[in-house]
Amino acid sequence: MTSRTPFTRCLAIGVAALAAILLVDGALHVLAAQNPFGGPRPAAEPQVGGIVGWLLAKQSEFYREMSVTIRAAKSDGSAVWTLLAISFAYGIFHAAGPGHGKAVISSYLVANRETARRGIVLSFASALLQALVAVVLVGICAWLLNATAKTMCGAERAIEIASYVLIAAFGVRLVWTKGGGFIRALQVKPVLVPAMAMAAVHHHVHNHAHSDHDRHDHVHDHGHHHRHAHADHDHDQGHHHDHGHVHDEHCGHSHGPTPDQLAGPGGWRRGLGAIFAVGLRPCSGAILVLVFALAQGLFWAGIAATFVMGLGTAITVATIAVLAVSARGLAQRLSGGSDGRGTLVMRGIEFAAAGLVLLFGIGLLFGYLAAERVTCL
Amino acid sequence: MGPRVRGDDGWRVLFGLLALIAVALASASSAAAHPHVWITAKSQVMYAPDGSVSGVRHAWTFDDMFSTYALQGIEQKTKGAYSREELAPLAQTNVESLKEFSFFTFARADGTRQRFLEPVDYFLDYKNSLLTLHFTLPAKTPFRAKQLVLEVFDKTFFIDFQYAEKDPVTLVGAPADCRMQFQRPNDGSAAAQKLGEQNFLSGEGGNFGMMFANKITVDCP
Repeated sequence: MTSRTPFTRCLAIGVAALAAILLVDGALHVLAAQNPFGGPRPAAEPQVGGIVGWLLAKQSEFYREMSVTIRAAKSDGSAVWTLLAISFAYGIFHAAGPGHGKAVISSYLVANRETARRGIVLSFASALLQALVAVVLVGICAWLLNATAKTMCGAERAIEIASYVLIAAFGVRLVWTKGGGFIRALQVKPVLVPAMAMAAVHHHVHNHAHSDHDRHDHVHDHGHHHRHAHADHDHDQGHHHDHGHVHDEHCGHSHGPTPDQLAGPGGWRRGLGAIFAVGLRPCSGAILVLVFALAQGLFWAGIAATFVMGLGTAITVATIAVLAVSARGLAQRLSGGSDGRGTLVMRGIEFAAAGLVLLFGIGLLFGYLAAERVTCL
Repeated sequence: MGPRVRGDDGWRVLFGLLALIAVALASASSAAAHPHVWITAKSQVMYAPDGSVSGVRHAWTFDDMFSTYALQGIEQKTKGAYSREELAPLAQTNVESLKEFSFFTFARADGTRQRFLEPVDYFLDYKNSLLTLHFTLPAKTPFRAKQLVLEVFDKTFFIDFQYAEKDPVTLVGAPADCRMQFQRPNDGSAAAQKLGEQNFLSGEGGNFGMMFANKITVDCP
């Protein structure tokens, strides 16, 4: 049960961040009202009820304020701060709306038995990659080559397809690996299941061994390994690494993804795979903002805004990722962990989540699932 | 540690997770992101001398950000100004891309769906750093209608269509007894009516974006 504490803490941080954004939002309204470049306020948003409507309205509001603020920044440098604040808020709200990125990440985390910390690292890495791709795309196409919007949208489409193929391929691989575990759990007689499950996940079992710790002399590594062990209670044979939880409280205190953090189940390659699959496709909004900033001679402000937007996105995605990991942990505790049926349930959930990643990839690729449209008009 | 719960609970959890997954899928597939492009529109419904509807002429002004984006890489002779000729390739691109979305223009004559041909007389102009796309959609077959319903909207809500405050819709050459009525999407009564009538009666247009439709109704007794 102690392993729930970091989750709760992450959630608290996430909620606190959202609350902070709402405050910033209020402040921005005051600022925008005083802005001489403010122009007419956008007309009232169409009436779409519920949370989705509210999210849409908020996003539209922030997004529309961005172009106004960039124009203002041409004559008044301090408007850049406003721009960054808006971008951050936009990022948070944008990621909270419908979208495939967090769905893929969450499914992957559940399928691959990832820890909350790795979920956070993956969320941040993929969001920052997304920002980087947008900056590089606009930097090369618009700034270096002065290509037209048509060319840029062609490039965007190509990247989009590549990213969906990547998600599908990633899904295939997960289904393949997780399908094996599920089938083994199905075939083996209940009594033998724990042993077989351990064989299937021997990588984790090694984490219990002291020899594993000896390979690493880094202080932080200790924390990670203990936590890995705890997140995988299905084969817990009575080991209690309570001291590990002290290191566990590091939520939000990120040192950036070190190879160790990325090397979860499946190795660092699979973690990178997740980052690329989700982060390759740039956000249309970021591209528009970058091109607009470039045209105003404030490309650097556009780049800063894009990365801050990515940061906001990462916070929301990480919050959802942590929720997904906690849900999995809860399911594991409730299903009784190491008994045969519990193992079967957990392998089933992992398999389903892996299948979901594949479905997302295929759905996006063939247009069954609509993603944010690429700006080609 | 780890409370032992009966196996049934495991299945319950599984169902719970599946429900979560379903929600995730649904949220990902409800197409709507949020608008990235805002269009301030003006439209003319064009009538032939015999009183039939011959087509629709739109003037769509793009927002500041999108106008700037669209102009990226377009050659200009004088800084800050674009001639119609310089913008011709872009207008061509716009018109070609809009085809995929049926020009966001949906017409019904007494309940029957009417189709449009490829746009004609299209061009872009550039004023106050905003681009305006002008184009005419000729009706595939000019039609008479007691009631014409014309809707302009993007069902994915990538583009937010808002009609101009002044003269949003005009009838050109319409028979004298025709009456035009225009409903904006954020007009609550329009949304309610849409839900009431079209979604349930005609069984069509159960789209999220229908809520954002601008509805032009012309009654010619």
